[in-house]
Amino acid sequence: MMRRPDYSAAQMAALLRKELLETWRDRRALLMAICFSLMFPAMLAGSTIFFVKMHTEEKTRLALLGVDNAPLLEAQLRSADLKVETLSEGEPRQLLAGGYDLVLQVGEGFASDYRSFRAPELYLYVDSSSASAGRAERHLQERLGQLQQLIAGQRLVARGIAPQLLVPWKLQVRDVSTPSSRGAMILAMVPGLLILTLFVASLATSVDTSAGERERLSLETLLLQPLPGWQVIAAKTLAVASMGWLGSLLAITALVALMPLMPLAELGIQQATTAAGVVTMGLLLLPLALLVAVVQILLALRSQSFKDAQTQLSILQLAPVILLMVLDMSRVELSDHFWQLVPLVAQQQWLKSLLVGDAVSLPWVLAGSLATLVPVVLAVALGARALRRERLLNAV
Amino acid sequence: MIRVESISKRFAGRPVLENLTFDLPDGRITSLLGANGAGKTTCLRIITGLLRADSGRVHLGEIDVAQNPMGARRQLGVVGDREGLYERLTVEEYLTLFARMQGLGGKGLRQALASVRDELELEELWRRRTRGFSQGERMKVSLARALVHSPPYLILDEPTRGLDVLAARLLRRTLLRLRAEGATILFSSHVMSEVAELSDRVLIMSGGRIVGNGTPDSLVAETGSANLEDSFVALAYGESRRANEEVPA
Repeated sequence: MMRRPDYSAAQMAALLRKELLETWRDRRALLMAICFSLMFPAMLAGSTIFFVKMHTEEKTRLALLGVDNAPLLEAQLRSADLKVETLSEGEPRQLLAGGYDLVLQVGEGFASDYRSFRAPELYLYVDSSSASAGRAERHLQERLGQLQQLIAGQRLVARGIAPQLLVPWKLQVRDVSTPSSRGAMILAMVPGLLILTLFVASLATSVDTSAGERERLSLETLLLQPLPGWQVIAAKTLAVASMGWLGSLLAITALVALMPLMPLAELGIQQATTAAGVVTMGLLLLPLALLVAVVQILLALRSQSFKDAQTQLSILQLAPVILLMVLDMSRVELSDHFWQLVPLVAQQQWLKSLLVGDAVSLPWVLAGSLATLVPVVLAVALGARALRRERLLNAV
Repeated sequence: MIRVESISKRFAGRPVLENLTFDLPDGRITSLLGANGAGKTTCLRIITGLLRADSGRVHLGEIDVAQNPMGARRQLGVVGDREGLYERLTVEEYLTLFARMQGLGGKGLRQALASVRDELELEELWRRRTRGFSQGERMKVSLARALVHSPPYLILDEPTRGLDVLAARLLRRTLLRLRAEGATILFSSHVMSEVAELSDRVLIMSGGRIVGNGTPDSLVAETGSANLEDSFVALAYGESRRANEEVPA
């Protein structure tokens, strides 16, 4: 008897249409993908604004209590970093809660102790749980140190002793970080987060189309159709990847749209990403989206239940973040060409380059994308085998 | 004709089917009876090619199911023990999908869809997504999916479970029409009245084996029972169980 070919493009098109309709009509999965895709750029914009504020608005607000005991102290403490406000009274804890970074209280016997060369007491109140506490305390200590040195020097001179004798060396601290290098720290996180978005955006869909279908027994109905298993897995992979890929594309677009709101210029970063950059980044992520989708489907098909699949994939989505962190910490030279053939790392490196306006090498991009697609093909074949397992039908 | 030859199946070393052999002639409705765990669903799954027998063969006409599963699936319409619907598709989208997967297209596709829509009274449901459908509506859609490519062989696993009177009548009417057109139909059921009304032949399974095979009347005569239900109890559970469970007059 003549056997008809097992593969037909029309069948594949019908199956793909079904998977796409099911995927894009799943409101829960869609909402999750959109929320996460928008949340990450919003958080990044917020943290950038906060970061810049931390490093540019560095003036410390100091409340000075008991200034009557040392009338000249206020003027002496004032500096570029310190804004001193004298208060006749106030409770230090409330003043700290009310917006002051520090509260300095001058002791009752300050003037008499000072005149008689007994070290007069100053009380510094600081809320060490506040983010600005360290910086504020450093500002005040620096200013008080300068004053202390000046007064001690004057006293020594008055006694005919060269003040330099007490200063064997002078330590000058120079912060060599530039706004740009501090900003690069922020941008370095972006590729990893974009890749994480891809994992998160496709998670719900991949569980639903595999473990979910198995639990609802609609997978069994599909397996009763004259379709080769690879077609089933390939159609599911394309549908799941579409959700993950568009999620990450949405994140990239949102990120670029939010860039004008971020004080990037203050960090020395020029906005290098344009609409063409968004498209390029999206294209670079496409093979990875397919790989993530098929791995998620395979894992979900192997799981015991829908809930088990959700748990397994939630753990899986930490994998890229952990891997990229480990590689970063181990100081591996990721700019080596070899890494452009390693899925995940390659995409991270390309995105990093594009975000700061550097070019990526087209031949290496093509080679790296191909290296990402090879495991996709293998995983589809593995998935087709998995569909033949009796355990899949809960028969065993 | 569906021919089942000496099929056996074990799960985790435990025998589920033992040397099952039977033929299902064309143009006949055969029902498969058995207690829960008797092996009915496994038997049906092997006939449909979803599971592979450890030994033995299943033929749909000339097609060996294990050797040519794709060919077998083109000849089969299956309604499983759950409907297997896609709840985010409309009935039209759902049936179009399965018709296309069975190779239908163009005018043939439109005719096939119109045919199942009219026969199974799906007009009102046609453009609705299947989420929230009643049991009867789900079964109608599922049956339409199994019939859309006009398969010569139809396998149904407990198709009337949970159906209301009207849906059950529609199902019976459809099965009788298909029999008249020469289809080979095998269905499993626990409802004896339905089996007695529809079946040309009855297969009774117990412990993974066929313990009864014949027309309803011949099984009643063979066991000396008053009706098919008693015959089933006698064959599936043994005489002692029947005696214990008979309701006193």
